[in-house]
Amino acid sequence: MENILEVKNVSKTYTGHKALDDISLDVPQGKVYGLLGPNGAGKTTLIRIINHITAPDSGEVIFDGHPLVESDVRNIGYLPEERGLYKKMKVGEQALFFARLKGLSKADATRALKEWFDKLEISSWWDKKIEELSKGMAQKVQFIITVLHRPRLLIFDEPFSGFDPINANILKKEILELRDQGATVIFSTHNMSSVEELCDNITLINKSRNILTGNVRDIRTRFSNHRYELAFEGNQQKLIADITPMVTVIEPLGTDRDGLNRVRFALRDASDVRLVLGTANADADIRAFNALLPSMDEVFIRAVESCNEPAVIPPAL
Amino acid sequence: MNSYLGIIISREFLQRVKRKSFLITTILMPVIMLALMMAPAVIAALAEPEKQTIAVIDDSGDLGRSLHSDDNIKFNIISDNLADAKLNDDFDAILVIGKNSIKDPSGSISLYSHSAPSMVTEQAIVSQLEKAIENRRIKEYNIDNLRQIMEEVSVDISLQTYRLDKEDETATSSMLSYILGVAMMFILYMFILLYGQMVMTSIIEEKNNRVLEVVVSSVKPNTLMMGKILGIGAVAVTQILIWAVLIVVGGMLLMPWMSAMASSVDEPAFTGAIDTLSDPAFVTQLIVFMFLFLVGGFLLYSSIFAAIGSAVDNIQDASQLQTIAIMPILFAMIISMTVVNDPNSSLAVWTSMIPFTSPMVMMSRLPFGIPLWQPVVSTVILFISFMVMIWVAAKIYRVGIFMYGKKPSFADLVRWFNYK
Repeated sequence: MENILEVKNVSKTYTGHKALDDISLDVPQGKVYGLLGPNGAGKTTLIRIINHITAPDSGEVIFDGHPLVESDVRNIGYLPEERGLYKKMKVGEQALFFARLKGLSKADATRALKEWFDKLEISSWWDKKIEELSKGMAQKVQFIITVLHRPRLLIFDEPFSGFDPINANILKKEILELRDQGATVIFSTHNMSSVEELCDNITLINKSRNILTGNVRDIRTRFSNHRYELAFEGNQQKLIADITPMVTVIEPLGTDRDGLNRVRFALRDASDVRLVLGTANADADIRAFNALLPSMDEVFIRAVESCNEPAVIPPAL
Repeated sequence: MNSYLGIIISREFLQRVKRKSFLITTILMPVIMLALMMAPAVIAALAEPEKQTIAVIDDSGDLGRSLHSDDNIKFNIISDNLADAKLNDDFDAILVIGKNSIKDPSGSISLYSHSAPSMVTEQAIVSQLEKAIENRRIKEYNIDNLRQIMEEVSVDISLQTYRLDKEDETATSSMLSYILGVAMMFILYMFILLYGQMVMTSIIEEKNNRVLEVVVSSVKPNTLMMGKILGIGAVAVTQILIWAVLIVVGGMLLMPWMSAMASSVDEPAFTGAIDTLSDPAFVTQLIVFMFLFLVGGFLLYSSIFAAIGSAVDNIQDASQLQTIAIMPILFAMIISMTVVNDPNSSLAVWTSMIPFTSPMVMMSRLPFGIPLWQPVVSTVILFISFMVMIWVAAKIYRVGIFMYGKKPSFADLVRWFNYK
């Protein structure tokens, strides 16, 4: 798979404070990439470097196969976390201004703007000043400004904050549509449910360092700690007794309404899940068996905590 | 790249010029200035002079009798002594003329009044007394026709000055030069301060709005800063041009009337002024340099204001750093005020070369007619300094715009300048 963006060993130091420490990541073309991390981890600095706003002290950024240059920002759309527009300027005028800064001609920009305004049903706002709009309305305008020039790389910093669920959904739909049309999306967010839902790959930055990177499913599996849930009909006590040498039982859930017993367990080191299943199969009728994947919230918290108090990072599968 | 600078400039320019407030200030400002200049005269003309009754205690003999009452001041010679007169409420004031008033008037004439006497009243009394004493003294010499002789001896000169370095020795008037110099210097001062601060507040606003981050994700911070300075500069120039047109049109309408008046008045200083003002070479030179120094001064100072604006989060925090820019402007104005009295002193020449003071000091010297090389060299120095300053400002700006929360000191600015 081709990478649209490669960040290689980037470091950046501000007076007495290392904002980025040897960060590397690859963003594959046409995917949604999550850039995660606690506040102050260095995400914004990294985004600014990708946007060619600040330069790294060392390391390099490769955009579309070549080292990032000034003109590449015409192919990038950036929605900063702290939204801002000129308050006294009219919506249409302002959108045109930003579109032209991204290299669109006035005619192209006007046409594209009308399309987007129709699509999001905000055409009537064209002559309104930004200060007359609500916060959510202004965010819609800012979203259009971000994507109008059909950038190949879109960077959204907390895109859904400040949106009601309906508008957040519209936005999500639009972002996925842009991805389907070939754009690559980088999400910087704390909203882990949207990461699970949207992101293909993530990088987790903590204290200026890249502490976790990879495919979302792989990461969740890795952080599952080999935990499983088994649903069966039969003698629960015997089953638990039989599998105990191989697993640590987390919680026997008892019998549910349908007469199914459920048990959750974690594999002990060097045990094979197939052996566990075989043993269980001999004891009872297995109705369901699945791996317990942690939520991205859990992954985030555990990764950051294990990094803060230097402990062992869970072994890979 | 340049086209993006153009887009920024045109936004900065149009957003300001389209505002109603621009139109209003552009039209109202000359009106207000005129009003301010005329206000004292109008007030003086409208003010009703107070009617005063003044008791006169005359110990000198007959000086009191030569005081003439008029509509406003009524003199009443009384024979009471001062203590009694003080008890009398009929009088607004008591004038005491001492015994030796003719020989030695200072100290021997006094005025007692219930409230502070007005300047007009005081002046009326003094001038009447002066005349009376003068007459009495002349009489004492006992020379025939002495008054006439004295009038013939007295002179009243107004100097007609000519510039030798000019091809045709046009009459110049140093009074006119003085007025022009001070006026142009003030216009420059006002513009540099007003528009320089406009650059600063506008940057602070962008920073507060967080719109800055969106803009710099499209264009370089330097382009944005440059565009802002040039855009606002264009607004200033537009405003000046509008005023210039107003003045020229007004001048053309008034010129025939003024020339006519000048010939009828036959006051050399006045006709000289009219001659100078209708000399196209002189006026063109003034206008060209005024434009250059206005633009150069604005660019130099607005670069400083831009760096300051980028460093702070709000206007309050800016006040301290602002002194870096405002002090030299004020200093230049103070120097200019002394320079108009001696436009060719070495202080004048030097401060009109040093970039921070040069726009204003040179402006106040120009009307006096100085060698052409001086303003030319000064302009070149000014524009070179601007380029150095904008480079310095840009280095501070690109760091400052992302600094929030902390009130920066001058030392911080120096540190940011040194960032890679």
